[in-house]
Amino acid sequence: MSSMDLNLILTIISYILIGIGAFCQVVAGIGMNRFPNFFVRLHASTICAIGGSFVPIIGCSILALTLEEFGPSRFFLAGAGFVTAIFIVLLAPVGSHLLAKAAYFSKAAVLHPKVADLLEEDIKKGEVRESTV
Amino acid sequence: MAVEYLAYFIPFYLIAVIMYVVRALKGPTIPDRVLAIDCLGYVLATFLVIFSVYLKSPLIIACAIVLALWIYALDVYMSKYLEKRELGE
Repeated sequence: MSSMDLNLILTIISYILIGIGAFCQVVAGIGMNRFPNFFVRLHASTICAIGGSFVPIIGCSILALTLEEFGPSRFFLAGAGFVTAIFIVLLAPVGSHLLAKAAYFSKAAVLHPKVADLLEEDIKKGEVRESTV
Repeated sequence: MAVEYLAYFIPFYLIAVIMYVVRALKGPTIPDRVLAIDCLGYVLATFLVIFSVYLKSPLIIACAIVLALWIYALDVYMSKYLEKRELGE
């Protein structure tokens, strides 16, 4: 396999990843406007962070690796892209969890169409104390 | 050579930006606004990476790493403010 074929395959893979990212961003935007309350909107936020941001940044890094006319600074582009993607995939779930926990215990977000709240029942029964969660 | 086709993906991201701005302005509670601003930050980081590949400029991508860390800092500070009603020192 020559280097030209490898570049073509990597380019196609990177464009597929960037297309998945664009689709996920639009889906997350629709979900952010249509979902009823804060705890359901966390789901749209996860789609935005992982599907819409992590995947196309990986795709852009792979695309930057194939730009041979760009010289050695294409490795800088690809490396910085991978570092950004790893930061996002590690820190976005942690941030969402912190925000959800704070919004639940400070009662800043109303749980209006309520189907089930098992944590509230556990706290009422005394199995889980509020300070230790 | 193969970079020009990146321009076709930009409008989808712009549509998503408009929808997040609507939620950030309208959001009934504070955590909704913070969540929408998080998503805006992630879209902006993706934009910076895409533009730095599209314009072939390595200077732009250095901002994306810092932006990803600032979004996490916003989450931590807002959750601390919501729980304790203070920002700490």
